[in-house]
This record gives sequence, C-alpha cells and structure tokens, in this order.
Amino acid sequence: MLVVVLFFLIFSLYLYVVLGGADYGAGIVELFSSRENQQITKKTLYRVMGPVWEANHIWIIIMIVILWIAFPVYYNILVVHLHIPLTIVLLGVTLRGVAFVFRHYDAIIDNTQRVYDTMFTISSLITPIFLGMVFGGLVSGQLMITDDIATTGFYDTYVQPWCNPFSILIGFFFAALCAFLSAVLLIGESDESTAPIYIRKAAIATIVVFIIGLVTFIYGYSADYLFVTGFLANNYALAAMGVSGLLLIPLWITIKKGNKVWSRFFAGLQVFLILLGVLMSHFPTIIITATSAPINLLEAIAPPSVINVLGISLIVGGVVILPGLFHLLKSFKMIKILERKA
Amino acid sequence: MENLDAARLQMAFTLIFHIVFACIGMVMPFFMVISHYKWLKTKEEVYLQLTKSWQKGVAIFFVTGAVSGTALSFELGLLWPEFMKHAGPIIGMPFSLEGAAFFVEAIALGFYLYGWDKLPEKFHWFTGIIIGVSGVASGILVVAANGWMNAPSGFDYVDGTFSNIDPVAALLNPAWFTQALHMTLAAFTATGFAVAGIHAYQVYKKRKVTLHTKAFKIAITFGAIAAILQPISGDISAKDIAKRQPVKLAAMEAHYETEKGAPLYIGGIVDATTQQVTHKIALPGMLSFLAFGDFNAEVKGLNEFPEDERPNVPVVHYAFQVMVGIGGLLMLAGILYFISLKKKKWSGNAKYWLFFVLLAPLGFIALEAGWIVTEVGRQPWIIHQVMRTKDAVTPMPGIVVSFYMYIVVYTVLSVAVTWLMLRQIKVLNTQN
Repeated sequence: MLVVVLFFLIFSLYLYVVLGGADYGAGIVELFSSRENQQITKKTLYRVMGPVWEANHIWIIIMIVILWIAFPVYYNILVVHLHIPLTIVLLGVTLRGVAFVFRHYDAIIDNTQRVYDTMFTISSLITPIFLGMVFGGLVSGQLMITDDIATTGFYDTYVQPWCNPFSILIGFFFAALCAFLSAVLLIGESDESTAPIYIRKAAIATIVVFIIGLVTFIYGYSADYLFVTGFLANNYALAAMGVSGLLLIPLWITIKKGNKVWSRFFAGLQVFLILLGVLMSHFPTIIITATSAPINLLEAIAPPSVINVLGISLIVGGVVILPGLFHLLKSFKMIKILERKA
Repeated sequence: MENLDAARLQMAFTLIFHIVFACIGMVMPFFMVISHYKWLKTKEEVYLQLTKSWQKGVAIFFVTGAVSGTALSFELGLLWPEFMKHAGPIIGMPFSLEGAAFFVEAIALGFYLYGWDKLPEKFHWFTGIIIGVSGVASGILVVAANGWMNAPSGFDYVDGTFSNIDPVAALLNPAWFTQALHMTLAAFTATGFAVAGIHAYQVYKKRKVTLHTKAFKIAITFGAIAAILQPISGDISAKDIAKRQPVKLAAMEAHYETEKGAPLYIGGIVDATTQQVTHKIALPGMLSFLAFGDFNAEVKGLNEFPEDERPNVPVVHYAFQVMVGIGGLLMLAGILYFISLKKKKWSGNAKYWLFFVLLAPLGFIALEAGWIVTEVGRQPWIIHQVMRTKDAVTPMPGIVVSFYMYIVVYTVLSVAVTWLMLRQIKVLNTQN
C-alpha cells in the first residue's frame, strides 16, 4: 500500500504543478500583456479555466493531506520551518481565488474590475514564486532542524532556508514554468487573430525558463549545493533533463503547425521529465538540511494500519473522482483528444 | 501577546470566518436546485432568474469557503505542528474522505456553473444535487475530525506515544454522530434564516415581491424544518456530553458543585473567582433531567476536576446561553412560519416580513456560539485528556503577526463578499 500512497503523492504533485501551474501561469501571462491583450486573455481564461480551476487547486490539498497522514515527521518539518513562505502562499491562494471569482460574478461591471484584475495577476505571480521558494527551502541544505532556537536564532532558523539566492532562483524558475505551461495551453484556445500573442508569450517563457534554469544550475554547482551536484551526478536525472530539453523541438513544431493536442502533451511531458529527474536523483531523501544528514521521506512513516487505510481511501477516491474530472476537462475542452474533428 | 494565545485566536478567527462561508456554500445549492427544479417544471421566468442569481451566490461563497478551507488545512500544521505530528495519521481518514467529497463538489460545480445550455437539462440539474450532497458530506466528515478531538479513539496512548492506530475506529469516534447531526441542522437553520431574511427585506421594501416571496419560501422551509428538529439533536448532544465530557457540561451550565437534582440555569452572570452565578433563573432538577433523563441524577460540578483541567467557565456558559436562546427562538419562528401558511393574511403585513428580517443574522450567531461552546469547552486539551493545547503549538515565535494579517485580510474579504451580494440583489431587482 505504501506504493499506492507514494503514487498518489507524486501524481498529485505532478498534476498540481501542471494544472495548478498553468492556472497560476495564466495570471502571469495576463500580467505581462498589453492592456488590450489583457482583456482578450481575461475572456479566454474565463472560458478555459473557469470550470476547472477549483478542481485544479484541490491537488495541493490532497498532497498536504497525504503528507500529514503518511509522512508526519516530514510534514512537521515543512510546517514548522517553512511557516512564513507557506503563509504567504496561502495569502496568495486566497486573494487570487476570490479575485478570479469576483471579477466574473460581480453583477455590475465597473472600475472595481481593475482592482480584481490587479489582485488576480499580482497574486498569480507571487504565489508560485513562494511555492518554489518553499521547495527551495526543502532542498537548499540550509534548514536547521533543532529544538534550540535560542542558539540558532530566528533568522537562521525560519528565514534563511527559503530566503536565499538559491531558493529564490527556484521560486522564479517555477513561476516561469507556470507561465510557459499556460501560454502553451492558451495557444490552443485562441483563434487565428489571437494565437500569435500566446505563441510569442510561449517563446519568451521558454527562453526565461531556460535562462533561470541554467543560472540556478550554475549557481548551485559553483556554490556546491547538494541538490544540484547530486542531480548532475545522476545519469538518469541528466538523461531526463536532456530529453526534456530535446522535446522543445517537437513542441515548437507542433505549436507552429497548430496541433493543440500534441503541443500540450509535449509541454506536460517536459514538466514530468524535470520532476522525474529530481526524484531520480534525490528520492527519498528530499529534505536536505544544514544540521543533519538529508531527511528520508520513508523514515518515520505512519504505521501500516494507517498506510493501508489511506491507500484504500485514495483508490476509492480516485475511482470516484478521476472519471468525473476527466469528463469535466473533456466537456470544457481542456482535453481535446476525444473531440471529433469537424 | 503570547504565542499560544495568538495561535488560538488566529485559529478561532479563521474558523469563525470559514464556518460561515462553508455553511452557506453547503446549504445554498439545495435552495438553488429547488428553484431550478421549479423552473424546469413550471417554466416561470422568475425561477430561472432566481436560480441564476443564487448560483452566483453559491459560486462566490463556495470559492471563499474553499480558499479559507485550503488555508485551514495548512494552518492545522502551521499552528499546531505537534498535534498534527501525532494526530495527523490517526484522523487522516476523515480528512482524506473530505478531500474526495470536496473534489466531487468542485467538479460538479464546474459542470453546473458552466453547463447552462451545454449539458442535457436533467443531467445539468442533477449536477446541482451533487454539489449539495457532496458539500454536506464534506461538512460531516470534517466534523468527524473535531469529534475525535473531543472523544479520542482508535489508538493506545502509553507513556506519551501513540500506538495500535486504527483510523477507522478514529473516524467512527463516539462524538461524531451527535456533533455531525447538530452541525448539519445548524448549517441549514443558519443559512435558511439568513437567506430568507435577505429576501424578506426585499419584500418588506416592496421590490420584486413575487420573486423574493418565492425565494423566501424556499429558504425558510429548509431553515424552519431544521430549526424545529434542532432541539432533539441538542438533547442527544447534551446527554452525550454529560457522559463523555462532564467538565464541559458543568462549564456550559456554570455548575461548580456536584449535586443531585441539579437545577438548570438560564442566563446568569458568572463570577469565576467566587464561583457564584447571579441573576439567573434556576429550574430545579431540570439539568439532571436533561442530562440523564432523571430529575434526581447526580451532575458533576467543576470542583470535581483539577483546576488546570477546566475550561474558561464564563465564556462557555455565555456562549451556551446564546446558542440555546437563539435556537429556541428560531424553533418558534419556524413553527410560526408553518402556521402562517394557513393564515394568508399575515403575509400582507409588513411586520411579518420585518420579523424575519430581524432573525436573519441570529442563526449564524447561534452557530458560532455553539462552536465556542464545544471548542473553548474542550480546553485546556487539544485532544481530550491526551494532549494539551499549549504542548501542540508551533515553536516559531511571532504568530501574532500572522494573526493580525488574517484579521485584516478576512475582514476585507467579508466586507467585499457582503458588498458583492448587495450588488447582486440590486441587479436582480432591476431585471425584468
């Protein structure tokens, strides 16, 4: 059953990165658009994301619940030591969620729309940056796992691990990745007149992702971060990264040809490969600390009785939810595979 | 402010906020599908207008409930890491099932909101039912986790460690049924009266009387039925607490001394230092009867329990009085509503509508008071007689900062949502 639980944990993580990420990215794309394009994006977003965005964001709840049930020690480190960035993430999630709904369900359309738009776009940018910083905090090797906060000090214990150049780079990397995913998604939802907008955005996002990724690697390598050196020393991780890079070629060919299904598939696969690379090189010792050996996810897990029940619940939940979710995504054309060509 | 106090206040504040939105998001879909059903049946345009207007309300409240719920799922760990480290695996089951129910709700909501003219009529309507049912299911499941904190079960606790964990037994803890029943009825009562009150105000102001009268009837029917049933559930809860958490019962009633044939105090001012309750109405033997079904039964007083195992008595006592007082009033109002169906003349009277306008906020006040009774009444324990709240709080100092931040953000949100609802009604009233 542990395998089932791990599968759902990684599955939720992946779907959150892809679906939730594309959702954050939509706000980022809107933020970096001219005013006229902003209005176009806003309308497209409403049509594309409206029916599904709430479902997209439940993956993070599933993830967090799996973590606390099955991996309580791991979860404990996350919530105690990364309290501050997580609180900022929550603030962002709250503000962008309500702004998204307010701007579409406000019965009167007037100047307040601008307030909603600003709230939505700014929090769409900040939230993924801080999510990335949380991940950066886990892997940057600066966490102080200690009961003696008096000696280590507030800043070094609760701020430094996530608020350092490396973690911040990872934050920006994730935000750029979100924008990239969203731009690719939006290309498929636009018509001939608006598609060039998103193709340009996708191109810019690709370059930004590449540059930030490269800088992160160079910085991490030169400063000898275990997360980076471990990644570079793992052939599978390197191979996954390499394939992910090579996929840019078919991705751009399909984008140019206007093949929505395949371009989305390639973009999703690229993210999967990046995630796979990270897991290959570091699983299960995902938390890298400054005070002790890396912390193993599979150490101090919940007793088998808990894992078994959780596994069964997840399977049952999955059977109930996934067909419904698939149908929803299909009905509102997020998935075009089954759509008959006219 | 001490870290523990700040954490408790933040938790209380965010829960108070979340509960309102979650309840409305859970109950309003039922109003919406009834109105939708009437539209499909009668094809009267006013039902369509009402359904579409309510659906916007559902969308706004759902998302506010959802984001504040997401925040809460993190806050449990952010504020109470020691609690979650040990309790997380044990009470994981209700939370994972709740996650599933919530997911179903979000999917159904996506279908419903965006399915107009796209989905087959009946299927579209049915997705509305699923929103309501899965919403209520999530509520019931979350209450299971709270029930467990009051009636911990499904583990052995020896020398500070939890072993032999049985998540199913934890889910089926003894407090679950009574709490879930009481909460579900409370959600229907509070939302029913609140929504009915808003529409009653529109009728009172003579705006679109036909539409608002229909809206009022749908909402008040749910509210009235739930309010009439609630005392039965309250009685079950009281008997259960008398057995399981006698100290909480004693605090609710501000009974310091153990006595046989204990009187029921109504109202009263509690002086915790002198242990006196003044200005009360005492009904002899009634507390013994209500708690144990016997006028002479012995009810344990607060002094039976060590001082450091008692909750804050005045807070629990006053909150309990508010809850029961309002509960009784709303039950009478519910009965009155059903009588008014026979007395057609009443609805022509402005005072009839004003009466329901004034009742609008009461249900939620009672509901919050009820949660204060159960939560403050459980203190100083976070897990009843297993773990103290002060031992569960995060070691990170400065929680007071996030407490203030939540106050500002949630206050602004509450104002914004209220304002949006007013605009919704304004537009509804100007539609043809």
